[in-house]
Amino acid sequence: MLNKSQKPTEIPIYKKIIVGAGTQIANYIIILFISISIGALVIFLSGMDPLTAYLALIKGAFGNWIKTADTLDRSTVMILAGIAGTLAFRTNVINLGLEGQLYIGAFAAALVGFSVTGLSKAVHIPLCLLAGMLGGAMWTLPVIYMKLRWNITELVTTLMMNYIAIRFTEYLIAFPFKDPTARLAGSPVLEASARLPKLIQGSTLNIGFIIAIATAIFSFWFLFKSKTGYEMRMVGLNKDFAAASGIPVNRSYTLAMMMSGAIVGLGGAIMITGFFGRFLGSFSSGYGWDGMMIALLAQNHPLGVIPASLFYGALANGALAMQSATGVPQTVVVMVKGTVMFFVTVMVFVRFIRRRLTKWVT
Amino acid sequence: MAEAIAADNITKTFPNVTANDCVTVSVEEGTIRAVVGENGAGKTTLMKILYGLYQPDSGTIRIKGEEIKLSNPRDAISRGIGMVHQHFMLVPSFTLAQNIVLGVEPKKRIFIDENQLNESVQQISEKYGFDIDTQKLAVDASVGEQQRAEILKALYRGADILILDEPTAVLTDMETKELFVMLRNLMKSGITILFISHKLREVLEISDETTVMRNGKVVGTVKTSETDSHKLAEMMVGRDTIGGRIRTSCDVKDAVLTIENLSVLDSRDLQAVKNVSLKLCKGEILGVAGVDGNGQEEFVEAIMGLRPKIKGKITIDGKEIQDLSTRGIRESGVAFIPSDRYRSGIAMDALIWENIIAGDYYSEPFSNGLSLVMKEVLDTSEKLVKKFQVSTPGLKVKTGNLSGGNIQRVIAGRELGLKEAKVVIASQPTRGIDIAGTEAIRQMLLEYANRGAGVLILSADLDEVLALSDRIVVFYEGEISDAGYWDEDIRSRVGQLMTGGEGENNAK
Repeated sequence: MLNKSQKPTEIPIYKKIIVGAGTQIANYIIILFISISIGALVIFLSGMDPLTAYLALIKGAFGNWIKTADTLDRSTVMILAGIAGTLAFRTNVINLGLEGQLYIGAFAAALVGFSVTGLSKAVHIPLCLLAGMLGGAMWTLPVIYMKLRWNITELVTTLMMNYIAIRFTEYLIAFPFKDPTARLAGSPVLEASARLPKLIQGSTLNIGFIIAIATAIFSFWFLFKSKTGYEMRMVGLNKDFAAASGIPVNRSYTLAMMMSGAIVGLGGAIMITGFFGRFLGSFSSGYGWDGMMIALLAQNHPLGVIPASLFYGALANGALAMQSATGVPQTVVVMVKGTVMFFVTVMVFVRFIRRRLTKWVT
Repeated sequence: MAEAIAADNITKTFPNVTANDCVTVSVEEGTIRAVVGENGAGKTTLMKILYGLYQPDSGTIRIKGEEIKLSNPRDAISRGIGMVHQHFMLVPSFTLAQNIVLGVEPKKRIFIDENQLNESVQQISEKYGFDIDTQKLAVDASVGEQQRAEILKALYRGADILILDEPTAVLTDMETKELFVMLRNLMKSGITILFISHKLREVLEISDETTVMRNGKVVGTVKTSETDSHKLAEMMVGRDTIGGRIRTSCDVKDAVLTIENLSVLDSRDLQAVKNVSLKLCKGEILGVAGVDGNGQEEFVEAIMGLRPKIKGKITIDGKEIQDLSTRGIRESGVAFIPSDRYRSGIAMDALIWENIIAGDYYSEPFSNGLSLVMKEVLDTSEKLVKKFQVSTPGLKVKTGNLSGGNIQRVIAGRELGLKEAKVVIASQPTRGIDIAGTEAIRQMLLEYANRGAGVLILSADLDEVLALSDRIVVFYEGEISDAGYWDEDIRSRVGQLMTGGEGENNAK
């Protein structure tokens, strides 16, 4: 029988955060605390001051408006990659090909950006972004075909498609689309009408960030409120149950894979049209892989992807500043990230700590 | 002759069920003992106790006259007991010889002595007259060869008491014959064999004595030469056919579900259902009995469009449905309660309302075409939860947190409570749930039949099938035979057919 839930008695806010049942925030605060402490310990043991190092990091990421804006710009592609991962993983589609889809999406956008001329910004930009989405989505088609036709796991095929994508785009800019004037391997420079408008002078932050946030909100609605999102989630939770209930399993699989490719492709397109202005070989420092980690960190929640990406973006931008200011190597950040990932994957352990804290507080 | 192995007053209980209830069995040295019984009769539990996999709650085990406590299989092996499970446990990339010695390899310093290994395996397989190429990789070996390797594995470890769990279930007729020749050879060399089976024909052929179990108890042990399949079947299913029958009247009109010449391939491309034809009438409850794994599961999955490789014709109210998707079949008016509720009945990590709307989420009133209409979804779910008496703190609870009985109520509510079905297919509808839940679900199925739907009930629990059905058909090795309309002798007829005996008439 249904019981009406009883009104909770008033509890002080600090108790609410630490004790409150189901507060994910508390879990993350604990994880962050442990990870930062471990990082600090390592910095300390190598004879440097953890506090100055971390302060330099924070200053590097959020020191002033420009730096903050740069951090937001850095997280833009991470948000989109994270959403792409989330949509796939929610459907239990193991898309390990985000990086490759990112490259193809980026190249498709660049192609439209430099080869189509004489358009206004209002037409050219959407066209470029659309090309990016289409590129990313199309790149998943072989994977989908192999899965549905021969039941070959996407775990392997998406992974392999990464290398094909990276080498293929490398070939494209080395031969057919090489910019003859450029010294490094790259495509011709994009038309000005294809460049995303900036949001703040002096920073690289552009409207791509707003598009990313909008995508996250849309994905939240899509996954949890829409009919198709429901299908995808049910397929992800139990494929056999979905099939027995008449939910179209293969359609959900196809859709999840293509949406995932399209969204990370959009990320690639935004990087090219917003930041680089041309397609460059190996332009991505593993944003597709970051996307997977971010999806995991956000526990596949589309809105959770936003703070997770900001965290990743801040660490990326802050790390460099920290290294040049204090001499503490950037790799400390990798360690902090690794520790966070470790604890997120073993959330059970965190729940154990929380139970201890609960006893202690109450 | 001396006693090889004996169980004395063994009782073993699991939550909700007494698997073995004061079981006493004694097997003489150098004989073949068959243990027969329906699913859930407690055969496998008893064997696992004798092999040290389970510890009995009370009672003792004697091996060669000595009272022994077996705390794990290693104890059992050291006492000369070997067990061959139904599912083989071989390393696919090893040769059969390597699998046979796995864990007790002959060694030369720290290396495995391959020559010695092959030689000793060869010796032992010759000693017992096994025809087997031990250099074959396990992955390339046929099922029969794998089984032989498993038996040799036990013998290599010095077993003189062999326990075989349904050894013929996976074998072809030819392989079964070969197995029996080998078992006789083993018996002649003084090995004691216990084997579990459902197939009375085989039991009669190979065993010296047969122990029959029912509901965790030993019904009796008989000399096989002094019995026949009729007597054994009667012991297996019992005589108490009267009583417990819920359904009293029936009103059979025209056929609502017809199946013509249905053949289904299973996931290994073997023919699981062979040319089956069946008619289900409006208002009729048709019981489908049979020992698990005889094709009944594939049969219902084929009706529901969940099996890709089928041949034949299926109609509902005259409309062909065999080529429709699962959704199309459901829209034709079929409700489906799957046998394994955790595998295909629900998503454990989905919320209760998410499980409730799984069959109908896409249409009015739950969806406006684009998004879910949450108010409607939650209102309907709440009504359903109340009506079907699901005990839950709320609708936004993970379904996996509910008890098995409540989960089954959620499934039953979804399938029977949201719209009016013409055909209800209920596979193991009350497996593993409490008495109140069982009663409630049975009552719902009866109501459906009374309202004029055709109800198909599959159950491993023969009592359930007998209690509810107007008519019973039996699956045996992918074929169907008709046990006819309910009367006082139906239990013995079903028992016969379940174990491979001849039916009087074939299904119409």
